[in-house]
Amino acid sequence: MLRRWRLCRECRVTSILLIVLGLFAGLIGALSGTGGGIIITPMLALYFGLPISQAIGTSLVAVITTSAASSSVNLQRHTTDIRLGMTLELATALGALATAYLVGYLNRTALEVLFATFLLYGAITILRKGGKTEDELDEIVPGPSSESVTLPQYAPKRYPLGMGASLVAGGLSGLLGIGGGPIKVPVMYLFMGVPLMVATATSNFMMGTTAAASAFVYFRRGDILPATAAPLAVGVFVGSLMGARLSPRVPHKWVAFLLVTLMLYLSAHMFVHIIGKFL
Amino acid sequence: MSEKREPRFDHRVALVLRFGAFAAFFVMLTGVAARVLFDGALPPRIELVGVLIMLITPVVRVFVVMTLFFRGKDWRYGWISTGVLLILLLGSIYGIGEH
Repeated sequence: MLRRWRLCRECRVTSILLIVLGLFAGLIGALSGTGGGIIITPMLALYFGLPISQAIGTSLVAVITTSAASSSVNLQRHTTDIRLGMTLELATALGALATAYLVGYLNRTALEVLFATFLLYGAITILRKGGKTEDELDEIVPGPSSESVTLPQYAPKRYPLGMGASLVAGGLSGLLGIGGGPIKVPVMYLFMGVPLMVATATSNFMMGTTAAASAFVYFRRGDILPATAAPLAVGVFVGSLMGARLSPRVPHKWVAFLLVTLMLYLSAHMFVHIIGKFL
Repeated sequence: MSEKREPRFDHRVALVLRFGAFAAFFVMLTGVAARVLFDGALPPRIELVGVLIMLITPVVRVFVVMTLFFRGKDWRYGWISTGVLLILLLGSIYGIGEH
């Protein structure tokens, strides 16, 4: 009886800690425009003892939550290009499905090395940009009170290139449990001639479907644990909404600094954890 | 023509996403609260339902977009949406990756 009570007490504490993690990841993700997956996956693997494949699967639920919450706002503003999003989703969903399938056969340590390297690369990229994250692309978007914005005339071009990049972004999403925005947004903006505001909104719109394509595979494999995913998603949902409201008032440099510090720390911790396995 | 915007189209898709996200949130919150307050088999089931609603929301969104394109006789994007829906169904129904 006492053992059961202790076990349940541990469940309660874990649920509360997962809500706090989700809240923090959702807040930082919304403030920096990177989504929460990049923080959630290593935190679940390192501090909650989840195998990396389960951490990735659970993180995908958080990515879908963030996408659904932010896309509904962007659609009301008419900044999302649904036709472009659906076309590129063909490639992202296919890429995500393929890599989610592969993860089941990948060595766990190889996956951890891949994630730690991606964290390090991401942190260095933000540092090289001088602390600029995707969120700064949103500076010209009016607040939630505004129903719509005036968009410049444009016509997307170089679809094959966009589809190729989307396939890679989808592949990374299925492999690492992230949204893939840092690949899709620059490609749409720089190479396809899509305005930044539209590229960001369309990338957010696509993220949910891309994550869902691989999440079903993870779910059927037993790599999404509802007991972990539910409290996490609850926190992420609240954190994302808070982040969206706080975004105009928080200095982007500070958010980028916090994100880079976290990414570097988690990457170093993951490498130490991996090395520790061989010693 | 990709820059074309139809406010009613956008509004309907936004409604699907908003409804799905809020429904999943409230069901998952109920499950988590039940887990924190009580023991038993019910809280995990409620959490599972919440997670499933969240996972299904993007699929419903693609289905609604596909229907709206076909109803608007936008065949090209209707078929593209059908392709996305088929990829999603491939992962969910046929259980690729099970071993």
